[in-house]
Order: sequence, then C-alpha cells, then structure tokens
Amino acid sequence: MSIEELEHTADVRMRVRAPTLEELFSEAGRALMMVMYGSPGEGKRTMNVSVSGHDLESLMHAFLSELLFLSEVEGMVFSDAEVILRNYTIEGTVKGESFNPDVHSAGQGVKGISFSGLSIVHEQGSYILDVIFDV
Amino acid sequence: MLQGISRIGPYEWEVPIGFVPGMRVPGRFFLSDALAEDLEAGAVQQLAHVATMPGIVGRSLAMPDIHWGYGFPIGGVAAFSLDEGVISPGGVGFDINCGVRLLSTPLKEDELVKKRELIEHLFKAVPTGVGGKSTLRLSGRSLEGMLLEGSSWAVHQGYGVDEDIIMCEQAGCMKEADPAAVSQKARQRGMPQSGTLGSGNHFLEIQAVREIYDTEAARAFGVFPGQICIMIHCGSRGLGHQVCTDHLSILEAATRKYHISLPDRQLACAPLDSPEGKAYFGAMAASANYAWANRQVIMHYTRKAMEEMYGIPYKEMHLVYDVAHNVAKFEEHVVGSSRMRVCVHRKGATRAYGPGAPDLPSEYASTGQPVIIPGSMGSPSFLLRGTSAAMDTTFGSTCHGAGRIMSRTQAKKRVSGKEVRESLAQRGIIVRAPSDMAIADEAPGVYKSSAEVVRVVHEVGLSRMVARLEPLAVIKG
Repeated sequence: MSIEELEHTADVRMRVRAPTLEELFSEAGRALMMVMYGSPGEGKRTMNVSVSGHDLESLMHAFLSELLFLSEVEGMVFSDAEVILRNYTIEGTVKGESFNPDVHSAGQGVKGISFSGLSIVHEQGSYILDVIFDV
Repeated sequence: MLQGISRIGPYEWEVPIGFVPGMRVPGRFFLSDALAEDLEAGAVQQLAHVATMPGIVGRSLAMPDIHWGYGFPIGGVAAFSLDEGVISPGGVGFDINCGVRLLSTPLKEDELVKKRELIEHLFKAVPTGVGGKSTLRLSGRSLEGMLLEGSSWAVHQGYGVDEDIIMCEQAGCMKEADPAAVSQKARQRGMPQSGTLGSGNHFLEIQAVREIYDTEAARAFGVFPGQICIMIHCGSRGLGHQVCTDHLSILEAATRKYHISLPDRQLACAPLDSPEGKAYFGAMAASANYAWANRQVIMHYTRKAMEEMYGIPYKEMHLVYDVAHNVAKFEEHVVGSSRMRVCVHRKGATRAYGPGAPDLPSEYASTGQPVIIPGSMGSPSFLLRGTSAAMDTTFGSTCHGAGRIMSRTQAKKRVSGKEVRESLAQRGIIVRAPSDMAIADEAPGVYKSSAEVVRVVHEVGLSRMVARLEPLAVIKG
C-alpha cells in the first residue's frame, strides 16, 4: 500500500495504491487526513459509516466527502477504515482520534473532493486511485 | 502557444470551435506574452470543455489569471441562456462566493504604530485556520437569517452599519436563496464556522495605499495615498463546500437523466429550469449570502479592533466594496445584437460593471464598480474600476487574483514557512498564521505576478487601475 503526492498547480493530487478495494478506501481516507492534518490520527475512537454510489468513482467521491464532513463536524482525525463493499455501497467503521490543534495543525483545509481527475484502475494486482482535493 | 489556438490581438487569443469535439461556441482568453509562458494545456482544454455545455452563449471566456482547475478553469466565465442553458457547480467551485472586501480607515501609514499588537489582537478576534471555531453562538433561526438575507442580516444583528449593505455586489444578498435546499450536513458545518476566516489562500491583511492611478475614481472610492486599508478574503466555509458536494452528486445523476453529454464529470449540470438545477441555484444563492454575512462579521471584528487600538470611530471606517469571485447569477447582457437575461458563471473571476450599470451605489455610478484584486502573500493588491468594455466583451467580468504557477509540493521543497516569514519580516511585513506550513504553501513566487495580471486587464480595458496597496501585516488562514 502506498500514498504519494503528484504534481498539481492549484490543488493537491494524490495517488493511492492498495491490494484490495476495501483497503483502497481505507488508504484514501488516510491520504485525505494527511492533507488536512499533516498525518493520519491514531485509532482510539470509532464511528459508523455508510455511503452509496452508482459506480466505483462516485462511491469513492461519496466516501471521501463523508469523511471530510465527519472530520470537520465531529472533530475527528481518522486513522483507517474497516469497510465492506457491496453493490457500490460501503458500510463499516472508521477509526481515529479527536482533533487536537497542538498535533493536527500541519495540514490545510480541504474544500472538497473533485470529480475531475478521479480515477480507479486495477493494474498488476493492485488498485490505483488518483484523486484531486480542492484546497 | 498551443497548437490550434490563434492570436487575435496583443492580449487576446481565440480557441476555435473544433479544438475539442462538441464545442458550441469559440473560446477566448486574455494573456500577455509573459503570462502565456505559464499557460497550462489543461486549463485551455477545460475552457474548451465549457464551450460544449448546452445553452452557452457568446464565448467560453477566461481571464489572464487562467489556470488549471476542475470543471471550469480558474478564471473562467460563461453565460447560459435561460431557455436552453444549464447551471453547474463546476462553474462556481466548492468555495461559493469566495470574495474580497476592502475597508478604508482615516489612519495614515505613519500613524500605524503597534503593528505587531494589532495583528495579534486581530488574530485572537478572528478565528483562523483548520479547525478554527467561531465565537458566535448561532441558533438555527440565525443561520436561516444569514442564508436568506446575507449582509443585511449581519448588519441588523449589530455587525455593521446600514451603508455597508449597498457597498456589496448585489447589496450582499441573492434573493433567489432557498434555505430548504441547504442540507442538514451543510448547516452543521456552517453553524460553528460563521465569522471564521478559514485556511488556504484566505487572509486578512493590513495594507497601505502606495500609488493612485486614477485620481477621480480614487476620490469616489474614498482612498488616498498613504492610507491604511484592510482587505478581507474568504468565502462560505464548510457550508458552501458541503452545498457544492451535495449538489454535485445530485447534478451528476441529473446529467444522465437529461441526457447531457459532457467531457468531464466535474461539469455535472442540469437545465436552469429543472428541479435539480433550481435546487442547486437556491442552495448556492443561500451559501453566497452566508459568505457575505461572514465577511461582514469579520469586518466588524476588525473595526472593533481598530477602534480599541487607535480610537478610530467605527463609522469612520468605510466599506469601499465587496466583490464575489466564485458565483453564478442571473444578469442582463447584450449577446450578438440582442439584450437577454443569462446565467453568468464566474469561477475565479470578478464582476466588473462599468459606469451606469445597474446594481451600483450612486457614489459609483459614474466611475463603475470598484474591483478588488487581492495579491498573494507579500505582493501588492489592486483596486480597479469596472468598464463598459467589460460589459461588451466578458459579460462584465475581469480577473480575480494572481493564479498559481507553482504546485504546493514544489513550494514546500523550495522554501520553508519559517524562511518565508523571516524574509517578509525583513521587508517589514508581519505574517501571522496558525502554522508555518500554511505560510510555505502560499509563499510569494508560487503565484503569477498580480501586477502583470492586472496590467493585462487594464490594457485590454476589462477594468482600469485605480490604486495599488502594499501589504504591511497579514493573517493567513
């Protein structure tokens, strides 16, 4: 599994790789937290999550948008997710810790997850997500 | 320059129909040779993609601060007819009614003592950065008021004076606002964030007027050489972001429902008269109102701080103007030979109405509206005025800022936040931010020259330069 930042002039573009789709969603959440807070949190709190889409890309868009919402409203910095993917629906729990300005101020606000440049491909046994966060 | 694009004037470039398949109108953008060197192919492609959208009229336009965004390019302007046209969140952006306002003070530069104390005072008064929480305790009904009434809600709550209201574009309120189309999620994000600056490129800056280019307009705008002014740049915070996210999903489905074929999913749209299109427009207008109220509250905190520290009476600090640079609005424009009502999308572009245009306060009827172009950190900002040339060529629009040229990854590799802070301090500019990281991201040199962008709109006549303001101290979100 890996998370790398790709070049993008105005926004933040990330490439995430994982062996399974479920892990890809979890890693994508970690990538979002790295941008927002400098690093992902630790898994002390848990929360339920359930979102749907009509294809993989729209499901990823819905999942990351939900994490962004929960993070901001619940003051939660996520570490990882244990989710089950079925019929373009994600259900499960996400883990993380409460926002603490002393440790989580190394990031930048993310306004939203862009549909432009959002792609998920399966290559040589690995799922690869490219995603742009509007900052 | 890219293949297939032709130059039609010293600063004008045409993207012909056929540059990408399905274009309904040509594209047009404005650049000097120096700015053309940094033009991204992706941005021109996005400009061409906008030209494929149903009901687009005139041309798909981009201002000299054009750069690669998502959906529309940043700096993009497009108008759609009411009967065949569409509305798209990709033509507004996540930060609905991100905008700028300029507050003038009677204080002169040499009277600005205790600059450090002032910036610390303001940093405490205006919650800033990721996780910055409002000191306002809004009730559900108050939020409803913000969404419906915008600036005037804030003024009637005591966060300003009556004259502030007409000094905002559209008097700080889009009457099409439909709070019912704003989701609970958006409200949950909006409640704790009203009156907060946010992060990214948002800022509050103490500036000095250094040069006047148009004495008559400067007099009308109430600015003079050596004057201390304060610029506030922010938007609709999490509420607007969530409205964009929510409606993007709805409009993505609507795009398929109405059989609209698009080259980019972020251009998701729906006919202006469809239920989905109307719902987004109503929610967007409500978010725009929230943003105007937000900037009004932040300006109030600023006036209070200036009053406390320098004894300047609250009413002697005037709002010069407030402009929106991420918004879609119904306006009347001449298209071809006929005057028609259209839906103008401005994404990273500023309305620049000329003399005699509707919606201008009487003080500005003969000068055209003030246009406020914020500089990036450490670089000058500009005050301009709208022109009739803009009414004729760009649906009354001009640039909104400088436009990035260096990615955040490159910026961080090149220079640290601490180094930026120290080098600005050597120039006498104080930077206050929640973290040094936020400073590196927005360092000088990562943006195009705001002066060059402004020079181009001035030369083309899309707006005319009135004054240049230099930064003295800045709060970065």
